[in-house]
Amino acid sequence: MQRWRGVVIIGTMAAITLWLAYSGQLVLYIHPRYILFTVIMSVIAVVLSVLAVTTRRDHDDEREGTPPRRRERMLGLTAAAIAGLFTLGMVVIPPATLSTATAEQREVNATASTNTADLEQASTADAEAIARFTVREWSSVLRQTSDLAFFDDKPATALLGFVTPDSDDPDNLFYVSRFVVTCCAVDAQPLGVPVYLPGWQSTLEPGAWIEVSGPFVSNPSRSSTQAIVIEPDSVEAVEQPREPYLF
Amino acid sequence: MTQSQPDLERVDSSEGHHDHEGTRRMRPVHVVWAASATAVLIGLVAVRAFTAENLDAGIPNPVQDLLTLSTSVLVESLPFIVLGIALSILVQVWIPETWLLRILPRNQWGRRAVISLFGMFLPVCECGNVPLARGLVRRGFTIPESMVFLVAAPILNPITIITTHQAFGFDDGILIARLLGGFAIANILGWLFSKHPEPMSLLSGRFAEQCRLDDGHSHSRNRREQTLDLFVRESSILMPALVIGALVAGSIQVIVPREVLVALGSDPLFSVLAMMALAFIISICANVDAFFILPFASTFLPGSIVAFLVFGPIVDIKMLALMRTTYTTRTLVQLTTVVGLLSLTLGLVVNYLA
Repeated sequence: MQRWRGVVIIGTMAAITLWLAYSGQLVLYIHPRYILFTVIMSVIAVVLSVLAVTTRRDHDDEREGTPPRRRERMLGLTAAAIAGLFTLGMVVIPPATLSTATAEQREVNATASTNTADLEQASTADAEAIARFTVREWSSVLRQTSDLAFFDDKPATALLGFVTPDSDDPDNLFYVSRFVVTCCAVDAQPLGVPVYLPGWQSTLEPGAWIEVSGPFVSNPSRSSTQAIVIEPDSVEAVEQPREPYLF
Repeated sequence: MTQSQPDLERVDSSEGHHDHEGTRRMRPVHVVWAASATAVLIGLVAVRAFTAENLDAGIPNPVQDLLTLSTSVLVESLPFIVLGIALSILVQVWIPETWLLRILPRNQWGRRAVISLFGMFLPVCECGNVPLARGLVRRGFTIPESMVFLVAAPILNPITIITTHQAFGFDDGILIARLLGGFAIANILGWLFSKHPEPMSLLSGRFAEQCRLDDGHSHSRNRREQTLDLFVRESSILMPALVIGALVAGSIQVIVPREVLVALGSDPLFSVLAMMALAFIISICANVDAFFILPFASTFLPGSIVAFLVFGPIVDIKMLALMRTTYTTRTLVQLTTVVGLLSLTLGLVVNYLA
């Protein structure tokens, strides 16, 4: 068995990875540009694993060389057990997107774009383009300007994201937020647009996916540091999208 | 491994050279094993599809995120590990021994300089690199030389160069500093370890044992068997290490708030240290890390980005777990210290120049 643990782990993981790609959930973990490469390599791993098991020979299970020291052996067994458990977890625990826990821990908008070209583009965009703005565009605009006039006739329309409570004024303010991923879930950066809705916690759960529409106004909250917020006309609960991250 | 004569015969015969009874009995067995292995994999995928629909794990958010982050590190590294094992098999089994050794200069420095460019035609990132470095040692390269390759190849390799260029262009000399820095650090490290009086003692007991066992036996089997045997061995050594590395990397990210690091971004010294710490923690592959660090480029000084891009590929949690399969803890402490100091210096130099 000792000899085969690696093949079992790598074969299982590669098969699960292929399933993730097939069911469109690989994007929960990596940027879409790596999907093709990941799929090709997983196929190779699956084929090699099956071939390795197929050409299995009787004396393969014999111990190779002198037995390792006891301490090393225990270490190896523990590592293999943890790896096995984790592999089992990959098989049974449903795949999930990152949650509000990470959004709060990584500080919403810490990396919002300060690219002035984005702001210029936004100021000349027509109503149709503005209606398509995601959390990424709005967070960049909000970071760069607090001029209310800029937001005249530029309302947020069906802005999609999940609810993350504001840390300064959690009773009245939340972010409609998305993670932006440039490589894999490890680098997911939370971006968000503040929404002012006193008592929101009575109707919304943190982490719930919503679509928010409404104009941008000066922030009525006293304890929050945000200058401009959305005053929602409508907040609609929606299903989590198939691609929860922005790429 | 005591498998030379009887084994050879069986392989030959299964390919149809001999035709005695033993071989005919072998064939159905092969089919049965292949069928059951395939069935098990299909079964696992079926379970996976079922639980994804019907199981609500009810796991608290931080734990769920830990799993998601660890899985992300794993899924991101897995293809590179497979590529690394495949190339390692190619080098050990399919490429004639003389090819690699022929192109090397006699002179020690020249030799190491050429080895540090091996990544240009063996484009693996750091995790795939470990099996390859092990392969080189078995192929008769010295241990310091294997380290030069291990350190330089993830940085001086076409995929890394392209992705780094895509992410940063030639801004602030980040790309150039990464390449030259990686080359310099690898060669300095190789030179330092070449002064070691007993290089074999740098290797972990288990790997040294394997190298001794390999001598004289590897030629007695056919290539297909050697290929599969290496796949089995490398995966059983690397996969547990990879999982542990990914789990630790995932947990630390859930525990340590990102702001703690980001707050240090604009200080010439602390930004470099913070980025090295970040590189150590997040443990992602060199082929893709330029995209990882891109969102931080606006808040961090260029020198700290370079330190991240040079230190990360060589030393991080996942890599230490993987390298421990091959080198002793003592060796890894020395390696980490040397690489850490050199990356720090490089980062500071870039910060003051840029």
